[in-house]
Amino acid sequence: MRPVIAIMKRNLLKFMRDRMRLVFTLVMSGLFMFIFSFATRSMAAGIDHPMNYLIAGIVIMQVFQSSLSNSMHILEDIASGFMKEIIVAPIARWQIALGQILSTMIIAVIQGYIVIGASFFLGFRVDALHVVMMAGLMLLTSFTFSSLGLLLAALTKESTNFQLLINFLTIPLVFLSGAYIPTTVLPKIIMPVVFCNPLTYTTAAFRFIALQMEKHPVDTLLGAGVAFRLGNMVIMPATGIVLSVVMGLVFFTLCVNRFGAADFSRIKVFHRRHG
Amino acid sequence: MINSIEVSHFTKKFGDLTAVDDISFSVAEGSVFAFLGPNGAGKSTTITTLCTIQEKTSGELRINGHDVSRQKDLVRRDIGIVFQENTLDGKLTVEENLRLHCDFYGVARSDVKGRIGFVLDLVDLADWRRALVDSLSGGMKRRVEIARGLVHFPKVLFLDEPTTGLDPQTRANVWEYIRTLQHEENITIFLTTHYMEEAEICGNVAIIDHGRIVAYDTPRNLKKKFTSETMNVVVTDGVTFTNYLQANGMTYHNDGEHFTVFANGTDEVLGLVTAMRGIISDIEISKGTLNDVFLAITGKEIRQ
Repeated sequence: MRPVIAIMKRNLLKFMRDRMRLVFTLVMSGLFMFIFSFATRSMAAGIDHPMNYLIAGIVIMQVFQSSLSNSMHILEDIASGFMKEIIVAPIARWQIALGQILSTMIIAVIQGYIVIGASFFLGFRVDALHVVMMAGLMLLTSFTFSSLGLLLAALTKESTNFQLLINFLTIPLVFLSGAYIPTTVLPKIIMPVVFCNPLTYTTAAFRFIALQMEKHPVDTLLGAGVAFRLGNMVIMPATGIVLSVVMGLVFFTLCVNRFGAADFSRIKVFHRRHG
Repeated sequence: MINSIEVSHFTKKFGDLTAVDDISFSVAEGSVFAFLGPNGAGKSTTITTLCTIQEKTSGELRINGHDVSRQKDLVRRDIGIVFQENTLDGKLTVEENLRLHCDFYGVARSDVKGRIGFVLDLVDLADWRRALVDSLSGGMKRRVEIARGLVHFPKVLFLDEPTTGLDPQTRANVWEYIRTLQHEENITIFLTTHYMEEAEICGNVAIIDHGRIVAYDTPRNLKKKFTSETMNVVVTDGVTFTNYLQANGMTYHNDGEHFTVFANGTDEVLGLVTAMRGIISDIEISKGTLNDVFLAITGKEIRQ
Protein backbone atom coordinates (compact mmCIF):
# COMPACT_ATOMS: atom_id res chain seq x y z
CA MET A 1 0.00 0.00 0.00
CA ARG A 2 2.98 2.29 0.57
CA PRO A 3 3.58 3.09 -3.14
CA VAL A 4 -0.14 3.78 -3.66
CA ILE A 5 -0.15 6.27 -0.81
CA ALA A 6 3.12 7.78 -2.02
CA ILE A 7 1.69 8.43 -5.50
CA MET A 8 -1.51 9.79 -4.00
CA LYS A 9 0.31 12.11 -1.62
CA ARG A 10 2.53 13.38 -4.39
CA ASN A 11 -0.42 14.29 -6.60
CA LEU A 12 -2.26 15.99 -3.74
CA LEU A 13 0.88 17.89 -2.78
CA LYS A 14 1.27 19.09 -6.34
CA PHE A 15 -2.39 20.08 -6.48
CA MET A 16 -2.06 22.14 -3.30
CA ARG A 17 1.15 23.70 -4.52
CA ASP A 18 -0.29 24.70 -7.85
CA ARG A 19 -2.04 27.91 -6.88
CA MET A 20 -3.24 28.58 -10.39
CA ARG A 21 -5.09 25.30 -10.50
CA LEU A 22 -6.70 25.96 -7.12
CA VAL A 23 -7.88 29.42 -8.08
CA PHE A 24 -9.02 28.21 -11.47
CA THR A 25 -11.12 25.49 -9.85
CA LEU A 26 -12.85 27.99 -7.60
CA VAL A 27 -13.51 30.48 -10.36
CA MET A 28 -14.74 27.84 -12.78
CA SER A 29 -17.16 26.29 -10.32
CA GLY A 30 -18.52 29.72 -9.45
CA LEU A 31 -18.98 30.59 -13.08
CA PHE A 32 -20.59 27.25 -13.87
CA MET A 33 -23.08 27.65 -11.11
CA PHE A 34 -23.89 31.24 -11.87
CA ILE A 35 -24.58 30.62 -15.54
CA PHE A 36 -26.42 27.36 -15.25
CA SER A 37 -28.55 28.35 -12.31
CA PHE A 38 -30.12 30.96 -14.53
CA ALA A 39 -29.97 29.21 -17.86
CA THR A 40 -31.59 26.01 -16.76
CA ARG A 41 -34.07 27.36 -14.24
CA SER A 42 -36.86 27.08 -16.77
CA MET A 43 -36.13 23.43 -17.52
CA ALA A 44 -36.77 22.40 -13.97
CA ALA A 45 -40.24 23.87 -13.92
CA GLY A 46 -42.74 21.70 -12.06
CA ILE A 47 -40.17 20.13 -9.77
CA ASP A 48 -40.46 20.68 -6.03
CA HIS A 49 -37.04 22.08 -5.22
CA PRO A 50 -35.81 23.48 -8.54
CA MET A 51 -32.62 24.83 -6.98
CA ASN A 52 -31.70 21.44 -5.54
CA TYR A 53 -32.47 19.82 -8.86
CA LEU A 54 -30.16 22.15 -10.74
CA ILE A 55 -27.34 22.27 -8.24
CA ALA A 56 -27.23 18.49 -8.09
CA GLY A 57 -26.60 18.48 -11.83
CA ILE A 58 -23.90 21.12 -11.54
CA VAL A 59 -22.11 19.39 -8.65
CA ILE A 60 -22.01 16.10 -10.45
CA MET A 61 -20.76 17.87 -13.58
CA GLN A 62 -17.99 19.44 -11.54
CA VAL A 63 -16.99 16.04 -10.14
CA PHE A 64 -17.13 14.52 -13.60
CA GLN A 65 -15.04 17.22 -15.27
CA SER A 66 -12.54 17.32 -12.45
CA SER A 67 -12.10 13.53 -12.50
CA LEU A 68 -11.48 13.43 -16.23
CA SER A 69 -9.15 16.39 -16.35
CA ASN A 70 -7.16 15.44 -13.25
CA SER A 71 -6.53 11.92 -14.40
CA MET A 72 -5.29 13.57 -17.56
CA HIS A 73 -2.42 15.05 -15.58
CA ILE A 74 -0.65 11.76 -16.06
CA LEU A 75 0.09 12.94 -19.60
CA GLU A 76 2.11 15.75 -18.10
CA ASP A 77 4.12 13.14 -16.21
CA ILE A 78 4.70 11.25 -19.42
CA ALA A 79 5.79 14.42 -21.20
CA SER A 80 8.10 15.53 -18.39
CA GLY A 81 9.68 12.08 -18.22
CA PHE A 82 8.63 11.41 -14.63
CA MET A 83 6.40 8.56 -15.76
CA LYS A 84 9.54 6.57 -16.59
CA GLU A 85 10.61 6.80 -12.96
CA ILE A 86 7.24 5.34 -11.96
CA ILE A 87 7.11 2.53 -14.51
CA VAL A 88 10.60 1.19 -13.78
CA ALA A 89 9.83 1.07 -10.06
CA PRO A 90 9.08 -2.34 -8.55
CA ILE A 91 5.40 -1.59 -7.99
CA ALA A 92 2.40 -3.40 -9.43
CA ARG A 93 0.65 -1.61 -12.27
CA TRP A 94 -2.67 -1.58 -10.40
CA GLN A 95 -0.95 0.27 -7.58
CA ILE A 96 0.12 3.02 -9.98
CA ALA A 97 -3.42 3.33 -11.36
CA LEU A 98 -4.97 3.22 -7.89
CA GLY A 99 -2.65 5.91 -6.54
CA GLN A 100 -3.53 8.19 -9.44
CA ILE A 101 -7.25 7.52 -9.12
CA LEU A 102 -7.36 7.98 -5.33
CA SER A 103 -5.75 11.40 -5.58
CA THR A 104 -8.16 12.38 -8.35
CA MET A 105 -11.10 11.20 -6.24
CA ILE A 106 -10.04 13.29 -3.29
CA ILE A 107 -9.53 16.38 -5.44
CA ALA A 108 -12.90 15.86 -7.12
CA VAL A 109 -14.69 15.58 -3.76
CA ILE A 110 -13.00 18.75 -2.50
CA GLN A 111 -14.11 20.58 -5.64
CA GLY A 112 -17.59 19.11 -5.36
CA TYR A 113 -17.91 20.38 -1.80
CA ILE A 114 -16.73 23.82 -2.86
CA VAL A 115 -19.66 23.96 -5.27
CA ILE A 116 -22.05 22.59 -2.67
CA GLY A 117 -20.81 25.12 -0.12
CA ALA A 118 -21.27 28.00 -2.53
CA SER A 119 -24.69 26.79 -3.60
CA PHE A 120 -26.08 27.24 -0.09
CA PHE A 121 -25.99 30.94 -0.86
CA LEU A 122 -28.19 30.31 -3.90
CA GLY A 123 -30.89 28.60 -1.92
CA PHE A 124 -29.71 24.99 -1.93
CA ARG A 125 -31.03 23.19 1.14
CA VAL A 126 -30.20 19.70 2.43
CA ASP A 127 -29.62 18.27 5.91
CA ALA A 128 -26.24 17.17 7.26
CA LEU A 129 -26.87 13.47 6.67
CA HIS A 130 -27.42 14.05 2.97
CA VAL A 131 -24.32 16.21 2.74
CA VAL A 132 -22.35 13.22 4.04
CA MET A 133 -24.13 10.84 1.67
CA MET A 134 -23.07 13.10 -1.17
CA ALA A 135 -19.41 12.52 -0.33
CA GLY A 136 -19.87 8.79 -0.85
CA LEU A 137 -21.58 9.28 -4.17
CA MET A 138 -19.05 11.84 -5.35
CA LEU A 139 -16.27 9.37 -4.55
CA LEU A 140 -17.96 6.62 -6.54
CA THR A 141 -18.67 8.95 -9.46
CA SER A 142 -15.11 10.13 -9.44
CA PHE A 143 -13.82 6.56 -9.34
CA THR A 144 -15.70 5.74 -12.53
CA PHE A 145 -14.60 8.81 -14.43
CA SER A 146 -11.04 9.05 -13.26
CA SER A 147 -10.64 5.42 -14.32
CA LEU A 148 -12.08 6.38 -17.68
CA GLY A 149 -9.78 9.39 -17.92
CA LEU A 150 -6.73 7.35 -17.01
CA LEU A 151 -7.68 4.68 -19.51
CA LEU A 152 -8.02 7.29 -22.25
CA ALA A 153 -4.71 8.84 -21.29
CA ALA A 154 -3.03 5.45 -21.40
CA LEU A 155 -4.53 4.76 -24.80
CA THR A 156 -3.39 8.00 -26.36
CA LYS A 157 -0.37 8.00 -28.56
CA GLU A 158 -0.19 11.73 -28.98
CA SER A 159 -1.08 14.27 -26.37
CA THR A 160 -2.69 16.66 -28.84
CA ASN A 161 -5.20 13.99 -29.76
CA PHE A 162 -6.11 13.59 -26.16
CA GLN A 163 -7.78 16.98 -25.85
CA LEU A 164 -9.79 16.20 -28.94
CA LEU A 165 -10.76 12.81 -27.61
CA ILE A 166 -11.83 14.31 -24.28
CA ASN A 167 -14.03 16.90 -25.98
CA PHE A 168 -15.47 14.34 -28.33
CA LEU A 169 -16.41 12.24 -25.34
CA THR A 170 -17.47 14.74 -22.69
CA ILE A 171 -20.00 16.66 -24.75
CA PRO A 172 -22.28 13.71 -25.58
CA LEU A 173 -21.73 12.24 -22.11
CA VAL A 174 -22.85 15.47 -20.49
CA PHE A 175 -25.81 16.24 -22.72
CA LEU A 176 -27.10 12.69 -22.74
CA SER A 177 -26.96 12.28 -18.99
CA GLY A 178 -29.81 14.43 -17.78
CA ALA A 179 -27.50 16.77 -15.94
CA TYR A 180 -28.57 19.84 -17.89
CA ILE A 181 -31.36 18.53 -20.08
CA PRO A 182 -33.72 16.21 -18.17
CA THR A 183 -33.77 12.72 -19.66
CA THR A 184 -37.56 12.87 -19.64
CA VAL A 185 -37.55 15.38 -22.49
CA LEU A 186 -35.00 13.56 -24.64
CA PRO A 187 -36.24 11.78 -27.81
CA LYS A 188 -36.82 8.03 -27.52
CA ILE A 189 -34.35 7.20 -30.25
CA ILE A 190 -31.27 8.21 -28.26
CA MET A 191 -32.39 6.58 -25.01
CA PRO A 192 -30.13 3.51 -25.54
CA VAL A 193 -27.14 5.85 -25.46
CA VAL A 194 -28.48 7.51 -22.34
CA PHE A 195 -28.77 4.10 -20.65
CA CYS A 196 -25.19 3.18 -21.57
CA ASN A 197 -23.88 6.41 -20.10
CA PRO A 198 -22.60 5.97 -16.54
CA LEU A 199 -23.07 9.67 -15.97
CA THR A 200 -26.84 9.18 -16.34
CA TYR A 201 -26.94 7.00 -13.25
CA THR A 202 -24.64 9.06 -11.09
CA THR A 203 -26.55 12.23 -11.95
CA ALA A 204 -29.85 10.53 -11.14
CA ALA A 205 -28.52 9.15 -7.87
CA PHE A 206 -27.11 12.49 -6.89
CA ARG A 207 -30.46 14.16 -7.55
CA PHE A 208 -32.15 11.48 -5.52
CA ILE A 209 -29.95 12.44 -2.58
CA ALA A 210 -30.03 16.19 -3.17
CA LEU A 211 -33.84 16.18 -3.39
CA GLN A 212 -34.09 13.81 -0.41
CA MET A 213 -36.49 11.59 -2.31
CA GLU A 214 -36.18 8.43 -0.20
CA LYS A 215 -39.86 8.38 0.70
CA HIS A 216 -41.28 9.12 -2.73
CA PRO A 217 -43.16 6.45 -4.74
CA VAL A 218 -41.54 4.93 -7.83
CA ASP A 219 -43.78 6.87 -10.20
CA THR A 220 -42.55 10.19 -8.84
CA LEU A 221 -38.94 9.01 -9.21
CA LEU A 222 -39.61 8.02 -12.81
CA GLY A 223 -41.24 11.37 -13.49
CA ALA A 224 -38.30 13.29 -12.04
CA GLY A 225 -35.88 11.33 -14.17
CA VAL A 226 -34.24 9.86 -11.09
CA ALA A 227 -35.28 6.31 -11.84
CA PHE A 228 -35.55 4.78 -15.30
CA ARG A 229 -37.88 2.31 -16.94
CA LEU A 230 -36.08 -0.16 -19.14
CA GLY A 231 -38.62 -2.55 -20.63
CA ASN A 232 -40.35 -4.14 -17.65
CA MET A 233 -37.52 -3.24 -15.32
CA VAL A 234 -37.16 -0.11 -13.25
CA ILE A 235 -33.61 1.03 -12.57
CA MET A 236 -33.64 2.57 -9.13
CA PRO A 237 -30.87 5.03 -8.04
CA ALA A 238 -29.09 2.34 -6.00
CA THR A 239 -28.99 0.00 -9.00
CA GLY A 240 -27.75 2.89 -11.09
CA ILE A 241 -24.84 3.47 -8.71
CA VAL A 242 -23.91 -0.20 -8.89
CA LEU A 243 -24.04 -0.04 -12.70
CA SER A 244 -21.76 2.98 -12.87
CA VAL A 245 -19.28 1.48 -10.40
CA VAL A 246 -19.22 -1.74 -12.43
CA MET A 247 -18.42 0.34 -15.52
CA GLY A 248 -15.74 2.08 -13.48
CA LEU A 249 -14.22 -1.29 -12.54
CA VAL A 250 -14.15 -2.26 -16.22
CA PHE A 251 -12.34 0.98 -17.08
CA PHE A 252 -9.94 0.42 -14.18
CA THR A 253 -9.11 -3.14 -15.28
CA LEU A 254 -8.55 -2.09 -18.88
CA CYS A 255 -6.41 0.76 -17.70
CA VAL A 256 -4.19 -1.48 -15.53
CA ASN A 257 -3.77 -3.87 -18.46
CA ARG A 258 -2.82 -1.00 -20.64
CA PHE A 259 -0.21 0.18 -18.12
CA GLY A 260 1.38 -3.24 -18.13
CA ALA A 261 1.73 -3.26 -21.90
CA ALA A 262 2.25 0.40 -22.65
CA ASP A 263 5.47 1.47 -24.24
CA PHE A 264 5.67 4.91 -22.68
CA SER A 265 8.98 5.61 -24.29
CA ARG A 266 7.24 5.70 -27.64
CA ILE A 267 4.47 8.14 -26.81
CA LYS A 268 4.95 11.19 -28.92
CA VAL A 269 4.86 14.12 -26.60
CA PHE A 270 6.90 17.21 -26.49
CA HIS A 271 10.15 16.61 -24.68
CA ARG A 272 13.57 18.06 -24.60
CA ARG A 273 16.26 16.06 -26.28
CA HIS A 274 19.94 16.59 -26.04
CA GLY A 275 22.79 15.61 -28.28
CA MET B 1 32.99 -14.90 -11.91
CA ILE B 2 29.29 -14.12 -11.63
CA ASN B 3 27.57 -12.23 -14.42
CA SER B 4 25.22 -9.43 -13.42
CA ILE B 5 23.85 -8.99 -16.91
CA GLU B 6 23.42 -11.72 -19.46
CA VAL B 7 21.99 -11.07 -22.88
CA SER B 8 21.72 -13.70 -25.55
CA HIS B 9 20.35 -13.34 -29.06
CA PHE B 10 18.40 -10.24 -28.19
CA THR B 11 16.45 -8.73 -31.09
CA LYS B 12 14.10 -5.76 -31.03
CA LYS B 13 12.02 -4.71 -34.01
CA PHE B 14 9.79 -1.70 -34.43
CA GLY B 15 7.57 -2.69 -37.32
CA ASP B 16 9.90 -3.29 -40.23
CA LEU B 17 12.81 -1.54 -38.57
CA THR B 18 15.25 -3.74 -36.70
CA ALA B 19 16.70 -1.57 -33.93
CA VAL B 20 18.72 -4.32 -32.29
CA ASP B 21 19.74 -7.34 -34.30
CA ASP B 22 20.60 -10.57 -32.48
CA ILE B 23 23.13 -9.32 -29.93
CA SER B 24 24.73 -11.27 -27.09
CA PHE B 25 26.98 -10.11 -24.30
CA SER B 26 27.50 -10.43 -20.58
CA VAL B 27 28.73 -8.12 -17.86
CA ALA B 28 30.65 -9.41 -14.84
CA GLU B 29 29.56 -8.37 -11.36
CA GLY B 30 31.27 -5.24 -10.12
CA SER B 31 32.60 -4.18 -13.50
CA VAL B 32 31.99 -1.15 -15.66
CA PHE B 33 30.70 -1.92 -19.10
CA ALA B 34 30.10 0.57 -21.89
CA PHE B 35 27.96 0.46 -24.94
CA LEU B 36 29.52 2.68 -27.51
CA GLY B 37 27.94 3.83 -30.72
CA PRO B 38 26.41 6.67 -32.67
CA ASN B 39 22.86 7.91 -32.09
CA GLY B 40 20.32 5.42 -33.30
CA ALA B 41 22.67 2.45 -33.11
CA GLY B 42 20.45 0.61 -30.62
CA LYS B 43 22.05 1.61 -27.32
CA SER B 44 18.98 3.07 -25.70
CA THR B 45 16.76 0.32 -27.03
CA THR B 46 18.94 -2.23 -25.27
CA ILE B 47 18.92 -0.25 -22.04
CA THR B 48 15.16 0.32 -22.01
CA THR B 49 14.58 -3.37 -22.64
CA LEU B 50 16.94 -4.35 -19.83
CA CYS B 51 15.11 -1.87 -17.58
CA THR B 52 11.73 -3.54 -18.27
CA ILE B 53 10.27 -0.52 -20.04
CA GLN B 54 10.14 -2.18 -23.42
CA GLU B 55 9.37 -5.72 -24.44
CA LYS B 56 11.94 -7.60 -26.51
CA THR B 57 11.03 -9.14 -29.86
CA SER B 58 13.12 -12.25 -29.21
CA GLY B 59 16.10 -13.51 -27.25
CA GLU B 60 16.81 -13.78 -23.55
CA LEU B 61 17.87 -11.06 -21.12
CA ARG B 62 18.75 -11.67 -17.50
CA ILE B 63 19.78 -9.45 -14.64
CA ASN B 64 21.22 -11.20 -11.59
CA GLY B 65 19.69 -14.35 -13.01
CA HIS B 66 16.18 -12.88 -13.21
CA ASP B 67 14.42 -12.94 -16.56
CA VAL B 68 13.70 -9.39 -17.69
CA SER B 69 10.38 -10.28 -19.34
CA ARG B 70 8.98 -12.68 -16.80
CA GLN B 71 10.38 -11.51 -13.46
CA LYS B 72 9.97 -7.79 -13.93
CA ASP B 73 9.56 -6.87 -10.29
CA LEU B 74 12.63 -8.82 -9.19
CA VAL B 75 14.63 -7.10 -11.93
CA ARG B 76 13.23 -3.69 -11.06
CA ARG B 77 14.18 -4.18 -7.43
CA ASP B 78 17.81 -4.82 -8.33
CA ILE B 79 18.45 -1.99 -10.73
CA GLY B 80 18.95 1.75 -10.61
CA ILE B 81 18.59 3.85 -13.73
CA VAL B 82 19.73 7.26 -14.78
CA PHE B 83 17.89 8.06 -17.97
CA GLN B 84 19.10 10.11 -20.85
CA GLU B 85 16.43 12.73 -20.28
CA ASN B 86 15.28 14.35 -17.07
CA THR B 87 12.84 12.16 -15.16
CA LEU B 88 12.63 14.12 -11.92
CA ASP B 89 9.46 15.82 -10.78
CA GLY B 90 10.37 19.47 -11.14
CA LYS B 91 7.55 20.68 -8.91
CA LEU B 92 8.87 18.71 -5.95
CA THR B 93 11.96 19.39 -3.89
CA VAL B 94 15.13 17.32 -4.15
CA GLU B 95 14.30 15.57 -0.90
CA GLU B 96 10.69 14.87 -1.90
CA ASN B 97 11.87 13.27 -5.12
CA LEU B 98 14.26 11.01 -3.23
CA ARG B 99 11.67 10.19 -0.57
CA LEU B 100 9.16 9.20 -3.23
CA HIS B 101 11.77 6.92 -4.74
CA CYS B 102 12.39 5.28 -1.35
CA ASP B 103 8.64 4.68 -1.02
CA PHE B 104 8.56 3.05 -4.43
CA TYR B 105 11.50 0.78 -3.70
CA GLY B 106 10.43 -0.10 -0.18
CA VAL B 107 13.47 1.33 1.60
CA ALA B 108 12.85 0.77 5.34
CA ARG B 109 11.27 3.92 6.79
CA SER B 110 13.94 4.18 9.48
CA ASP B 111 16.67 4.18 6.82
CA VAL B 112 15.17 6.78 4.51
CA LYS B 113 16.59 9.88 6.13
CA GLY B 114 20.08 8.44 6.46
CA ARG B 115 20.15 7.14 2.89
CA ILE B 116 19.03 10.46 1.45
CA GLY B 117 21.75 12.23 3.41
CA PHE B 118 24.30 9.71 2.20
CA VAL B 119 23.53 9.98 -1.51
CA LEU B 120 23.19 13.75 -1.41
CA ASP B 121 26.63 13.96 0.18
CA LEU B 122 27.93 11.73 -2.55
CA VAL B 123 26.81 14.11 -5.28
CA ASP B 124 27.61 17.17 -3.22
CA LEU B 125 24.07 18.49 -2.97
CA ALA B 126 23.40 18.19 0.77
CA ASP B 127 22.66 21.92 0.99
CA TRP B 128 20.04 21.74 -1.73
CA ARG B 129 17.68 19.16 -0.31
CA ARG B 130 14.86 21.65 0.17
CA ALA B 131 15.25 23.30 -3.22
CA LEU B 132 12.62 22.75 -5.91
CA VAL B 133 14.13 20.63 -8.67
CA ASP B 134 12.98 23.14 -11.30
CA SER B 135 15.19 25.77 -9.69
CA LEU B 136 18.38 23.71 -10.15
CA SER B 137 20.81 23.93 -13.05
CA GLY B 138 21.07 21.14 -15.62
CA GLY B 139 24.20 19.70 -14.06
CA MET B 140 22.67 19.69 -10.59
CA LYS B 141 19.53 17.95 -11.85
CA ARG B 142 21.75 15.31 -13.37
CA ARG B 143 23.44 14.79 -10.02
CA VAL B 144 20.07 14.51 -8.30
CA GLU B 145 19.12 11.84 -10.81
CA ILE B 146 22.29 9.94 -10.07
CA ALA B 147 21.65 10.26 -6.33
CA ARG B 148 18.12 8.99 -6.86
CA GLY B 149 19.33 6.05 -8.94
CA LEU B 150 21.51 5.02 -5.99
CA VAL B 151 19.33 5.69 -2.97
CA HIS B 152 17.83 2.19 -2.92
CA PHE B 153 21.32 0.64 -3.20
CA PRO B 154 20.87 -1.10 -6.56
CA LYS B 155 23.08 -4.01 -7.55
CA VAL B 156 23.22 -2.87 -11.16
CA LEU B 157 23.27 0.75 -12.21
CA PHE B 158 22.25 1.76 -15.72
CA LEU B 159 23.47 5.07 -17.03
CA ASP B 160 22.04 6.09 -20.37
CA GLU B 161 24.29 8.84 -21.68
CA PRO B 162 24.85 10.11 -18.14
CA THR B 163 26.95 13.08 -19.13
CA THR B 164 25.28 14.26 -22.32
CA GLY B 165 24.58 17.96 -22.19
CA LEU B 166 26.84 18.58 -19.21
CA ASP B 167 29.69 21.03 -19.13
CA PRO B 168 33.20 19.46 -18.96
CA GLN B 169 33.62 20.30 -15.26
CA THR B 170 30.39 18.60 -14.21
CA ARG B 171 31.11 15.75 -16.53
CA ALA B 172 34.40 15.12 -14.80
CA ASN B 173 32.64 15.23 -11.43
CA VAL B 174 29.97 12.79 -12.49
CA TRP B 175 32.68 10.40 -13.58
CA GLU B 176 34.44 10.74 -10.31
CA TYR B 177 31.24 9.72 -8.51
CA ILE B 178 30.75 6.78 -10.80
CA ARG B 179 34.25 5.49 -10.14
CA THR B 180 33.99 6.03 -6.41
CA LEU B 181 30.78 4.10 -6.36
CA GLN B 182 32.09 1.20 -8.28
CA HIS B 183 35.05 0.95 -5.94
CA GLU B 184 33.22 1.37 -2.67
CA GLU B 185 29.92 -0.36 -3.32
CA ASN B 186 31.01 -2.97 -5.85
CA ILE B 187 28.00 -2.31 -8.04
CA THR B 188 27.88 -3.27 -11.69
CA ILE B 189 27.66 -0.32 -14.01
CA PHE B 190 26.26 -0.47 -17.51
CA LEU B 191 26.51 2.73 -19.45
CA THR B 192 25.96 4.00 -22.92
CA THR B 193 27.88 6.90 -24.31
CA HIS B 194 29.05 8.39 -27.52
CA TYR B 195 31.96 10.09 -25.81
CA MET B 196 35.05 8.04 -26.57
CA GLU B 197 37.02 9.42 -23.64
CA GLU B 198 34.40 8.09 -21.26
CA ALA B 199 34.52 4.60 -22.67
CA GLU B 200 38.31 4.48 -22.22
CA ILE B 201 38.06 3.94 -18.47
CA CYS B 202 35.59 1.06 -18.68
CA GLY B 203 36.50 -2.56 -18.10
CA ASN B 204 34.83 -3.73 -21.28
CA VAL B 205 33.46 -1.95 -24.28
CA ALA B 206 30.99 -3.15 -26.86
CA ILE B 207 30.86 -1.15 -30.04
CA ILE B 208 27.42 -1.18 -31.52
CA ASP B 209 26.45 -0.02 -34.97
CA HIS B 210 23.19 -0.55 -36.87
CA GLY B 211 21.90 -2.75 -34.06
CA ARG B 212 24.81 -5.18 -34.07
CA ILE B 213 27.81 -5.54 -31.82
CA VAL B 214 30.77 -5.09 -34.13
CA ALA B 215 33.50 -5.34 -31.50
CA TYR B 216 33.62 -6.40 -27.87
CA ASP B 217 36.75 -6.28 -25.74
CA THR B 218 38.72 -4.15 -23.26
CA PRO B 219 39.55 -0.66 -24.57
CA ARG B 220 43.24 -1.58 -24.54
CA ASN B 221 42.80 -4.70 -26.64
CA LEU B 222 40.51 -2.93 -29.05
CA LYS B 223 43.07 -0.24 -29.63
CA LYS B 224 45.83 -2.80 -29.98
CA LYS B 225 43.82 -4.73 -32.50
CA PHE B 226 42.41 -1.96 -34.60
CA THR B 227 44.70 1.03 -34.35
CA SER B 228 48.35 1.86 -34.81
CA GLU B 229 50.67 4.33 -33.11
CA THR B 230 51.02 7.43 -35.20
CA MET B 231 54.43 9.13 -35.15
CA ASN B 232 55.04 12.58 -36.49
CA VAL B 233 58.78 12.73 -37.06
CA VAL B 234 61.09 15.42 -38.34
CA VAL B 235 64.45 14.03 -39.52
CA THR B 236 67.73 15.52 -40.71
CA ASP B 237 68.43 12.78 -43.24
CA GLY B 238 65.33 11.87 -45.23
CA VAL B 239 66.96 9.24 -47.43
CA THR B 240 68.35 7.11 -44.58
CA PHE B 241 65.02 7.36 -42.80
CA THR B 242 63.06 6.33 -45.90
CA ASN B 243 65.36 3.36 -46.40
CA TYR B 244 64.78 2.20 -42.83
CA LEU B 245 61.01 2.49 -43.19
CA GLN B 246 60.98 0.60 -46.46
CA ALA B 247 63.34 -2.10 -45.14
CA ASN B 248 60.98 -2.67 -42.21
CA GLY B 249 57.85 -2.50 -44.36
CA MET B 250 56.27 0.37 -42.42
CA THR B 251 53.46 2.52 -43.73
CA TYR B 252 54.25 6.22 -43.95
CA HIS B 253 53.81 9.36 -45.95
CA ASN B 254 56.05 12.36 -45.96
CA ASP B 255 56.41 15.94 -46.96
CA GLY B 256 60.14 16.59 -47.29
CA GLU B 257 61.70 15.94 -43.89
CA HIS B 258 58.31 15.66 -42.14
CA PHE B 259 57.21 12.05 -41.88
CA THR B 260 53.99 10.55 -40.61
CA VAL B 261 54.69 6.94 -39.73
CA PHE B 262 52.22 4.27 -38.60
CA ALA B 263 53.70 1.69 -36.26
CA ASN B 264 52.16 -1.48 -34.92
CA GLY B 265 52.86 -1.66 -31.23
CA THR B 266 55.50 -0.36 -28.90
CA ASP B 267 58.24 -2.65 -30.23
CA GLU B 268 58.15 -1.10 -33.65
CA VAL B 269 58.19 2.38 -32.18
CA LEU B 270 61.16 1.61 -29.94
CA GLY B 271 63.00 -0.15 -32.77
CA LEU B 272 62.64 2.87 -35.01
CA VAL B 273 63.59 5.37 -32.34
CA THR B 274 66.66 3.35 -31.30
CA ALA B 275 67.92 2.83 -34.84
CA MET B 276 67.30 6.35 -36.07
CA ARG B 277 67.98 8.38 -32.91
CA GLY B 278 70.92 10.15 -34.60
CA ILE B 279 68.80 11.73 -37.33
CA ILE B 280 65.51 12.37 -35.52
CA SER B 281 65.28 16.04 -34.59
CA ASP B 282 61.67 16.04 -33.39
CA ILE B 283 59.15 13.34 -32.57
CA GLU B 284 55.56 13.13 -31.44
CA ILE B 285 53.90 9.78 -30.77
CA SER B 286 50.18 9.41 -30.38
CA LYS B 287 48.33 6.27 -29.41
CA GLY B 288 45.21 5.21 -31.25
CA THR B 289 41.91 6.19 -29.62
CA LEU B 290 38.62 4.36 -29.45
CA ASN B 291 37.46 6.77 -32.08
CA ASP B 292 40.11 5.31 -34.40
CA VAL B 293 38.86 1.86 -33.44
CA PHE B 294 35.37 2.90 -34.36
CA LEU B 295 36.57 4.39 -37.59
CA ALA B 296 38.56 1.27 -38.44
CA ILE B 297 35.61 -1.02 -37.79
CA THR B 298 32.72 0.91 -39.24
CA GLY B 299 34.49 3.19 -41.64
CA LYS B 300 32.95 6.31 -40.17
CA GLU B 301 33.41 8.76 -37.34
CA ILE B 302 31.28 8.25 -34.26
CA ARG B 303 30.45 11.92 -33.79
CA GLN B 304 27.71 13.16 -35.98
